Amino acid sequence: MELFANLAHGFAVAFSPINLLMCLVGALVGTLVGVLPGIGTIATVAMLLPITFGLPPVGALIMLAGIYYGAQYGGSTTSILVNIPGEATSVVTALDGHQMAKQGRAGPALAIAAIGSFFAGCVATVLIAVLGAPLTKLALAFGPAEYFSLMVLGLIFAVVLAKGSVLKAIAMIVFGLLLSMVGSDIETGASRMAFNIPELADGLGFATVAMGVFGFAEIIRNLDHGAEMNRNLVQQKITGLMPTRKDIADSTPAILRGTVLGSILGILPGGGAVIASFAAYTLEKKLAKNPSRFGRGAIEGVAAPESANNAAAQTSFIPLLTLGIPPNAVMALMVGAMTIHGIVPGPQVMQKQPDLVWGMIASMWIGNLMLIIINLPLVGIWVRLLRVPYRLMFPSIVVFCAIGIYSVNNAPVDVVLAGVFGLVGYWLIKHDFEPAPLLLGMVLGPLMEENLRRALLISRGDWSVFVSRPLSAVLLAIAAGLLVLAVLPTLRAKRDEVFVESEG
Amino acid sequence: MSDTPSEAPVKSILPKWVRGPQDFVGGLAMMAVALFALWASSDLQGMHGFSFGAGTAPRMFAVLLLLLGGGVALMGVLQAGPHIAAYSWRGPLFVSAAIVFFALAIRPLGLVVSAFAAFMIAAMGSQETKLVEAVIVGACLTLGCALLFPYVLGLPMPMFPRFLIQ
Amino acid sequence: MMSIRSLAGACLSAFVALGAFAVPASAQNYPTRTITMIVPFAAGGPTDVVSRIVTAHMAQTLGQSIVIENVVGAGGTTATTRAARAANDGYTLITGHMGTHAASVPLYPKLAYHPEKDFEPVALLAGTPILILARKDFPPKDLKEFVVYVKANAEKVNAAHAGIGSVSHASCELLNSILGVKPVGVPFNGTGPAMNALVAGQVDYMCDQIVNAVPQINAGTIKAYAVATPERNPSLPNVPTTTEAGLPAFQAQAWNAIFAPKGTSPAIIATLNAAAIKALDDENVRKRLLDLGSVIPAPVNRTPEALATLVKNEIAKWTPVLKPAT
Repeated sequence: MELFANLAHGFAVAFSPINLLMCLVGALVGTLVGVLPGIGTIATVAMLLPITFGLPPVGALIMLAGIYYGAQYGGSTTSILVNIPGEATSVVTALDGHQMAKQGRAGPALAIAAIGSFFAGCVATVLIAVLGAPLTKLALAFGPAEYFSLMVLGLIFAVVLAKGSVLKAIAMIVFGLLLSMVGSDIETGASRMAFNIPELADGLGFATVAMGVFGFAEIIRNLDHGAEMNRNLVQQKITGLMPTRKDIADSTPAILRGTVLGSILGILPGGGAVIASFAAYTLEKKLAKNPSRFGRGAIEGVAAPESANNAAAQTSFIPLLTLGIPPNAVMALMVGAMTIHGIVPGPQVMQKQPDLVWGMIASMWIGNLMLIIINLPLVGIWVRLLRVPYRLMFPSIVVFCAIGIYSVNNAPVDVVLAGVFGLVGYWLIKHDFEPAPLLLGMVLGPLMEENLRRALLISRGDWSVFVSRPLSAVLLAIAAGLLVLAVLPTLRAKRDEVFVESEG
Repeated sequence: MSDTPSEAPVKSILPKWVRGPQDFVGGLAMMAVALFALWASSDLQGMHGFSFGAGTAPRMFAVLLLLLGGGVALMGVLQAGPHIAAYSWRGPLFVSAAIVFFALAIRPLGLVVSAFAAFMIAAMGSQETKLVEAVIVGACLTLGCALLFPYVLGLPMPMFPRFLIQ
Repeated sequence: MMSIRSLAGACLSAFVALGAFAVPASAQNYPTRTITMIVPFAAGGPTDVVSRIVTAHMAQTLGQSIVIENVVGAGGTTATTRAARAANDGYTLITGHMGTHAASVPLYPKLAYHPEKDFEPVALLAGTPILILARKDFPPKDLKEFVVYVKANAEKVNAAHAGIGSVSHASCELLNSILGVKPVGVPFNGTGPAMNALVAGQVDYMCDQIVNAVPQINAGTIKAYAVATPERNPSLPNVPTTTEAGLPAFQAQAWNAIFAPKGTSPAIIATLNAAAIKALDDENVRKRLLDLGSVIPAPVNRTPEALATLVKNEIAKWTPVLKPAT
């Protein structure tokens, strides 16, 4: 009963005119930030932090939270329309989403992404309210060993993502892992493969590489001779804007599973939310009757990861609201916003700041409602954007990406690096290497290496910690099982191929 | 992304026993990347005691990539595969030039000049571009960016050339 | 990769060339336009919060807005390098920090600037006390027991820190060198994850700035042995000082101060220093800084000369402690 009282209190706070306005502003800015390639949530929240100086703290945090989950809605837009994932979480959305757009089904892809996000957002908000406190234990149960095993599992997901050669996919993951090694070593501070370039001292930014291998490479490829025909075709065959009955039927189970996976993984601080979207994608691909549809415009491949990343975005508030510990960089900024207002969140933040906590939880639900109301009508506008001639579209994307990358660190070198990665990505396309596993390797690499080393430091070099700790052992077992499942079909296919050849 | 380029096969300079040039060259390039990484991380400290040291993980992954690259190249020998697709020079050149120009110009010349110039340079990457149209759209886009980024999103970036303000 | 390096070089020389157009502004009617304050850490961090609180008030005094530019990377040295190379016209300043203007000297042998030679000190803004923290079920009950325990179990204990070059790393190294122990240092990416590990009991102890720790201590999820300042902190009245608890040698504070590039005219420095002092005397500013657990410098420590001395002393203090670490 206390829960209802709390929720009622939360809604009373969230429904005050100023907080509703803040929520709307957050949702709008979040959508905008998500849509603009390169401009990440971290940069935006950082930029908007000073504005919150003059606002009441609850309103300020409601707005910042709105930007964070609003960007998850908007992030799918560029992934689907122009194949540029703005955040690590929307990489997998680009795989099937952009294929759908090429088939003239950008409308249904965008709509299902919004619907899935809305559903996941609602469920996750309820989860935070009902189970937030007990779920905190999960966040604390994950030590370095568990995170390492989770990241291994994540890398296996990355293999499953591949639709072509498994060998080449693994090569791309390892390439990504190598790229992630650039920068300062966490334990010794030694500079690794940074060649004394100060901008490389902290490693390659995700946005830099993603804009390069996805955004710029895609543009350069589209400028090739012969590709023009293809593009004009896309522009002509845009069909319905909204998903069909069959689309909805196909997506519903995917949305449900994505929501569950995302909600669980989101709670884990420091990296859980990152793998939520491709865990969901992998699950769908494994469960599908015909996995070959994935990567070629399967609507489940959009619905599941989009639901998962939005669910994870919401549940990642749990460690912040119950422990007072920010689980990722955006949350750390929110803690900054709270400290500016003289509130330092801690384990007692729920008791000490009920207005803030419950108001924020209630506002998340309202925010999700606003976002779906904003985003569904926008689908029509986005799809119309595809009709803009490509000769005008591509220089605009180049400029937007360049500004976006520059804004992340105010570093011109990052922009040049993104250009270099654009050429690398162009080369990769020409040699049929997929960029998605590369990006995932890059995102997971540091998490995996750092946690491995932390675990071994704490265990004094005893490798058995990874199997003697039950959670870690379970994760590794799942990883091993998935790897077998991923490799078996290719082996079988090879055998069949050989068989067919010898028959013929 | 993997719709295999289906342009006419270019004249191959590779020997006949390379049956899948795309994979063969791709694998070799990965091996080159791996060797480069091995060289670049050779100055880093390796394992000492149970502590990993800075160099262990990069070298481990570099060796792994070397093996995988070798595997991909081997597939290119054993399995018939597509030829290396043709590269065009115009798109990559102008898009890269636009990016580099933007990077060089944003701090000294400001957003307005660099965004517009980058737009025009990039636009030259396609032979479909019509000059007047591109100038108009580029100007509108620049105006939009000049309002959107510094004002709506509050990003701190210079707007106009430095020597004009002072 | 060579081409990237040469490109980076080309970038730099282009900036320098274009920067030459800049005409030095006259110091008399300074400031006539917006001032950029580089903050070498992410928005929302302790340095950022302190800078924002103080510069907001300084902007009123100076009659020009002060824009904060957060430039993150390499323990703040990326930003500091940029500030060192900026025009010395008083329109680019930096909020320096114990890390960027002292600990960086021994930590980064190839540092592209020197805190004393490349900067003009302007004013010390605030100090943030360091605490000795431990997981809640760590056996020692007080600092004396802690010292005995850590010395006896040096092989077994794990000390967390927020990454090489962070305040928590530097201060933990100082503590360890005073105790004469070399525990295993478990590195994390920032104070958030390190605090999470401490709350979860995965690591034994760490040193951290007071801001993040107060609510956890009050909730009993971690415990604090001592605060490394001469006086107790009002936000944690029950936590003894290191002097009271029997380890007077361990004194550490993370401090923030404004610096200008070398060669900035003394008139401008004086204007800025006056504005900073005025901000530190403002009731509202003081309250907000004290709420963060910060220590506001006494008037005698607010002059540029006092800051110069502080930087000199801090470099001397951290160099022997951090040198072997790299």
